[in-house]
Amino acid sequence: MSLIEIKDVYYAYNEQNKAIDGVSFDIKQGDYVTIIGHNGSGKSTLAKLIAGLLPVKSGSITVGGLEVNEDNIAAIRTRLGIVFQNPDNQFIGSTVKDDIAFGLENRQIPSEQMEGIIREYSEKVGLSDYLEYEPQNLSGGQKQRVAIAGILAMKPDILIFDEATSMLDPKGKKEIKKLMYDLAAGDDITIISITHDIEEVLQSDDCVVLNKGKLFMHDKPEKVFADAEKLRKIDLDVPFVEQIREAFAKRKIKLKNDDLKGMVEQLCRYRSNH
Amino acid sequence: MNNLVFGKYIPIDSPMHRLDPRAKLIGLFLMIAAVFVPKSWWVFLVIAILLTIALASAKIGIRMIVQSFKPMLMMMLFLLIINSLTVKTGEPLFAIGTFTIYHDAIFNTLFVIVRLLLMISITTLLTATTNPLDLTLGIEWLLKPLEVIHFPSHEVAMMVSIALRFIPTIIEETIRIMNAQKSRGVDFENGKLSQKIAAILSLIVPLFSVAFERAYELADAMEARGYVPGAKRTRYHVLKFKFTDYLFIFICGLVLAFSIASRSFL
Repeated sequence: MSLIEIKDVYYAYNEQNKAIDGVSFDIKQGDYVTIIGHNGSGKSTLAKLIAGLLPVKSGSITVGGLEVNEDNIAAIRTRLGIVFQNPDNQFIGSTVKDDIAFGLENRQIPSEQMEGIIREYSEKVGLSDYLEYEPQNLSGGQKQRVAIAGILAMKPDILIFDEATSMLDPKGKKEIKKLMYDLAAGDDITIISITHDIEEVLQSDDCVVLNKGKLFMHDKPEKVFADAEKLRKIDLDVPFVEQIREAFAKRKIKLKNDDLKGMVEQLCRYRSNH
Repeated sequence: MNNLVFGKYIPIDSPMHRLDPRAKLIGLFLMIAAVFVPKSWWVFLVIAILLTIALASAKIGIRMIVQSFKPMLMMMLFLLIINSLTVKTGEPLFAIGTFTIYHDAIFNTLFVIVRLLLMISITTLLTATTNPLDLTLGIEWLLKPLEVIHFPSHEVAMMVSIALRFIPTIIEETIRIMNAQKSRGVDFENGKLSQKIAAILSLIVPLFSVAFERAYELADAMEARGYVPGAKRTRYHVLKFKFTDYLFIFICGLVLAFSIASRSFL
């Protein structure tokens, strides 16, 4: 059985257009799944539906066998955490340690235990020297790391990143992506990441492409990007590696090894021959 | 906005800073009552001496106190002028032309002014030595008894602490929007009143729209992290009364008692 099962889900903010229009797919435990698509394709809506922040209009979402609804939401939230896009709008406490403590307070962790948990997770995200800092004295990347620490402290096994790196500078992006990859490397944590970052998609186990609220593609990232024509049809970018692969195909050059190393070799040979 | 002294927290360490916020709040109420009750200048002198000791121990300079009086100066001057014109009791003191100024006009007003100055100093002592978040916790604790009549003291405290948390963010945003509007030719400094109002509107409308958007996102983030309004939560900051806190409240209570008693012997 899959950890998260999305079955024929519909959602609409208003009468005219459906934000999510009959989407079905499964996510296995421990997988790192990226969701890509244009703005307004329904990516964030889907994340909010999974987290129970919006109710489905029809269809069903189950997380670990429990259907996401009013009755189960408290139980589901104990194992699910979301990191949102805007670093400022998810910083609830007035200092780093207060913000990490916020979720623990909701979870009714005794106050004597909080100090240790806060220390453990601030260290995990590399912010143990910043515990007393206020949000206005932190960079965007640091604020996102605080958000991640606050969520990890609640020990979820499903993490949703809703464009968590899109408002950050290159340095911040790199920091957060490294943290995500480290978390994904473990077996028990399932990651769902909504992103525009093709580099990140290539790191994931599975890629879901949404277009106008519909499931457009769902496959391994290499397979998704291999169908460059299909991606271009909905104006999505094709990774550089795939562009090279296409260029080879156009010149009718057969690749001996169809991986990155093979392509680099072939490319060098091609340069020296021409 | 940084030159606002009244209500500003000074993040240093001092005996006053280390007191429990609840003790300081109770002390504040007792002391303000003690300032209101007496009819004698001697009581003010006693309170002023004690206050000076407290301010010194909190490392609050005389300059900060004087600064905190500034916003009230105009009001005090106004009070003095009105009272001089209207109060006709007591000994006549001196005359300006044909107009006589009476003893009570001057001294009763001075009495009120000293009372006000003492109140401001006491409040400044509280806010300068208490981190806003701790202050919120203290207020929450004081409002707890009202939970009997279903007053949501915890939610109110949560709202206040979030509001405090977002003040710097909103100020930053205000500056950003002002710069954006300036670059589009909006003039915030010059022009007629109607033009200035239009300029301010171009600031306020986007500011509110962004603030609402923030509020929605923050609500989502809080909900996603398991916050349920009204639900039981544990607290990271646990306030604990120490011996010095009890001593502080006792001293403040003593001052109030002296002040009440003074009405019958001074």
